[in-house]
Amino acid sequence: MSDTPASDVWKELSALPTGRHVEITDPDGRRWSGTVVPRHDFSGDRVLQLKLESGYNIGVRIEPTFRYRLLDSAPTPVASPSRAPPTASPPGAGAWIALLTTGGTIASRVDYETGGVRPVKEEREILDFFPELEASGRVRIVPVFDRLSEDLVPDDWRVLAEKVAATFAAGARGIVVAHGTDTLGFTAAALSFLLVDLPGPVVLVGAQRSPDRPSSDGASNLRAAVEVAHDSRIGEVVVVMHAGPSDDRFAIHRGTWVRKMHSSRRDAFRSRNGPPLGTVDGNKVELHLPVRAPVAGPARVDGPIDTRAGLLWFYPGLTPERAARFAEGCRGVVLAGTGLGHVGADQLGWIRAATARGVVVAMTTQCLEGNVEPYVYSTGRELLRAGVVYLGDLLPETAYAKMVWALGHSSDPEEVAKLLTRDRAGEFHKRHGPRDPS
Amino acid sequence: MKAGLEVHQQLAVGKLFCQCPAELTEEVSDAFTRSLRAAGGENRSVDVAAALQASRGLVYRYEAGPSSCLVEMDEEPPHPLNEAALDTALTLALMLHARPVDEIEVMRKIVVDGSNTSGFQRTALVAVDGVLEVSGRRYSIPTICLEEDAARKVRESPGEVTYRLDRLGIPLVEIATGPEITSGAEAREVAEEIGALLRATRHVRRGIGTIREDVNVSTEGGHRVEVKGVQELRRIQEYVEGEVARQKFLLELRDALLRRHARVPSDPPRDVTDLFREVPSGPFAGAGRGGQVVLVVALPGFAGLLRSPGGHEERLGRELADHARSAGLRGLVHSDELPAYGVTETIVSEVRARLSLAEDDAFVMVTDRSVERASVALRRALDRARAALEGVPGETRDPLPDGRTRFSRPLPGRDRMYPETDIPPIPITAERLRRLRAELPERPEELEARLARSHGLPGEVVRQLVYGDLVGRFESLAAKGHPAGLVARLLTQDLPSVLSGREGVPAFEPALEVLDAVLGAAEAGRIAKEGVPTVLGALAAGAPNVEAAIERAGLTGFSRDDLVALVRRVVEANAEMVRARGEAAFSPLMGDVMREVRGRRDGREVSETLHAEIARVRSQATG
Repeated sequence: MSDTPASDVWKELSALPTGRHVEITDPDGRRWSGTVVPRHDFSGDRVLQLKLESGYNIGVRIEPTFRYRLLDSAPTPVASPSRAPPTASPPGAGAWIALLTTGGTIASRVDYETGGVRPVKEEREILDFFPELEASGRVRIVPVFDRLSEDLVPDDWRVLAEKVAATFAAGARGIVVAHGTDTLGFTAAALSFLLVDLPGPVVLVGAQRSPDRPSSDGASNLRAAVEVAHDSRIGEVVVVMHAGPSDDRFAIHRGTWVRKMHSSRRDAFRSRNGPPLGTVDGNKVELHLPVRAPVAGPARVDGPIDTRAGLLWFYPGLTPERAARFAEGCRGVVLAGTGLGHVGADQLGWIRAATARGVVVAMTTQCLEGNVEPYVYSTGRELLRAGVVYLGDLLPETAYAKMVWALGHSSDPEEVAKLLTRDRAGEFHKRHGPRDPS
Repeated sequence: MKAGLEVHQQLAVGKLFCQCPAELTEEVSDAFTRSLRAAGGENRSVDVAAALQASRGLVYRYEAGPSSCLVEMDEEPPHPLNEAALDTALTLALMLHARPVDEIEVMRKIVVDGSNTSGFQRTALVAVDGVLEVSGRRYSIPTICLEEDAARKVRESPGEVTYRLDRLGIPLVEIATGPEITSGAEAREVAEEIGALLRATRHVRRGIGTIREDVNVSTEGGHRVEVKGVQELRRIQEYVEGEVARQKFLLELRDALLRRHARVPSDPPRDVTDLFREVPSGPFAGAGRGGQVVLVVALPGFAGLLRSPGGHEERLGRELADHARSAGLRGLVHSDELPAYGVTETIVSEVRARLSLAEDDAFVMVTDRSVERASVALRRALDRARAALEGVPGETRDPLPDGRTRFSRPLPGRDRMYPETDIPPIPITAERLRRLRAELPERPEELEARLARSHGLPGEVVRQLVYGDLVGRFESLAAKGHPAGLVARLLTQDLPSVLSGREGVPAFEPALEVLDAVLGAAEAGRIAKEGVPTVLGALAAGAPNVEAAIERAGLTGFSRDDLVALVRRVVEANAEMVRARGEAAFSPLMGDVMREVRGRRDGREVSETLHAEIARVRSQATG
């Protein structure tokens, strides 16, 4: 038995850098040899992760009695860059579109040795990864953020909107925004309200499967998004993602209508309250509904915004005290109410108090389909009397984005209410067809 | 020669990463299409096999049904690994005296032939350094892995491959042996032993396609070639021997080519479409129309060597055609097989003239509507021809039903695995191993000894039960009180005789209750032992139950009295012979009687009755 203090072998081994080639021997003479790879977050105590010659990774529990030796003299670089030197897209005349990257699955890749995910930033790297991007014309890459979409905040919507306007000003014919899918619906709605006088399409796109997978939807979504970005009929903010599980059909959703309706499916994005604007079938862009036409521009950002807004999902058991605390410091609160737009009668107190002090309280439905309607039940009538603004068939997220935008435009609650209820980006459906839109 | 095996066995414990049943199904409720891209690894070249597959630009269609969910559709992350499957893999590891790893990390192995919707197969190394003893020889078992099975290919058409998702995700245990096998017969024996060990766990799926073997064969001066996906253990020997012969042939062919100074030029292909405009039928009909081109390249020194020199079964021409096919073409035509396919002697001469070919020179040509695809196909064929000058190319080959093999793709490289980030590492605790060690199933040899001991069966019959995967049914039927000998005969002789006579018909797998009833009828004397195969045949042909089968087989209504009457009739008809030859008349008369009895009475009863009747007639004669 070794006299070495229990932790020593482990301490030394766990301090080895990635890429070192080691041989570990247990007291019975049995050996493991492989390359050190980064420790997994959920690996057990004293477990060293090794990549074996066969390519498999395994974990070896390092007991104090184990011995080890290094089989190399210096760390083997696990990966050595072999990319072509970066070359910017060729300058010159001709139509081009821009790809604005913000982070998220579509712009991240897995390190093949470690399994860790890292964002892709370099223009050349992105074009190498998605050679099909340039298939239908020139594409310029404009990095904006490098964050997962759940880390984006409303102030980022404004920054992104400014970048879109500037890129149009620089001559882009259309713009694709690569975005994480989790909050892509929020950003799409916010850009719809913030951007005006668009000379071409603004197409948000994401991926539900990371691009390092052969089955990633990123490449085909991007290709479809680029097709849409080239379409001269469109002058509004849209989202292009898979229309079903197949890789050859994509839906074009209006930015204010779309919601991520599934945690993992490729076709998670769905237009609510009606069909999407159109589809991309293979390379063919088809529009089934009237879209906002492009204008001469220049594109502008109709800011500013005010982030003192909240979105509150009503549920049985929500105490008025808790709701009232939520509303503190808010200039506007969007409620996702039940059914036609209801909350418990006991909520009326804090709502009356909030509207009395100038907070705009707006109602949407957590059904995520259909209009809110205050006159059918007494609760609705009470809420209306308390000053709640009813927002038709707006999705709660869209209503929240609109609230952030509207609060930035006026300090007068009545004016804010008017902005909220007035159609700005085609967000309200005037009629709801009989077809199940799901 | 040296050979190593990789045995893949499906487990019957549900799917590996979801809760779908591990059952194949003909029910299809949804279909969708995908394309796969060879994802570039982090700063490394795309794997050669992966690139080849992806370059084919195929569309993959998937059929989903009751045995698949969003996980198989690659629309949902994998669920936690199936613990029962891991227990089975660990049990095998312990039975093979292997060393389980401390922490399992599930890996993604890039596979872009469409057989995995994700574009990779999930696989995990469970244990290493095992050992297997077969007929006194020791074979190393370097690795035991647990992985998910691929989707099942159901159709293929130009540009599209259809897979069904039912098989995707069924757990597979993969047991690899070291390259220590030295003959086809040995390979078969090792495979059978591994098969018996797997079945000993009682957690494996049964039937065609539930066990598949990859055989790695290399010969002196040759190269490692992997024959992938042999489904019948008993044919391993054939494929190993076939591959050894093929490698020998390729080495001889190389020598012949080198003697002739054969070479493979890198000139671009020539467009000879104009020569084929008048070809009325065959693959070249339509040349010049709708963009269809004919491209040709010369192979100096190859004439006569593309087709079966010395009448050998293998042909270089076929290998070239298989490589051309990998680019999505129907095939390729070479000068050794011309004139044929509507290509006349005149056209051949004209092609030869245009390429300025000498007598020893050959040419190969392809036709397609896409110049690009045709060029790629020719390039692949030329690469293969170039490899012929070196000898045996390392590659993966598909087994064919006739015992030959066919090129499927180059050997995959090693760098095609990376961690499955959706599954955390799985610790293998000492406690888990203790529990599994305490519950280890009976090893095949122990099982053999026990069956021989407790049922008094001969060794050969016991071996057939153990290695023929029949122990489960044997023990169930014996436990119902049926005599062991009768049950063993039913399973090892009567059933196989029915099955082998029904080629092309879906396998006849009678339920245990049916076999129980057949045995019951035999024991009660309602049918004779000899009548069992007839009854099984009637069941296989669709008889709804055992009673109906006995009826249909015409085995009813032949009583003891009927037998006595029959025997009396036969003996009396031959009374003269009986009187003349005495007991020696028994054999010919027994044959006559049995023909008429047709298994309706037990053989021994027939023989006793006949003996008695002969004795009676003789006693009358003397009396």
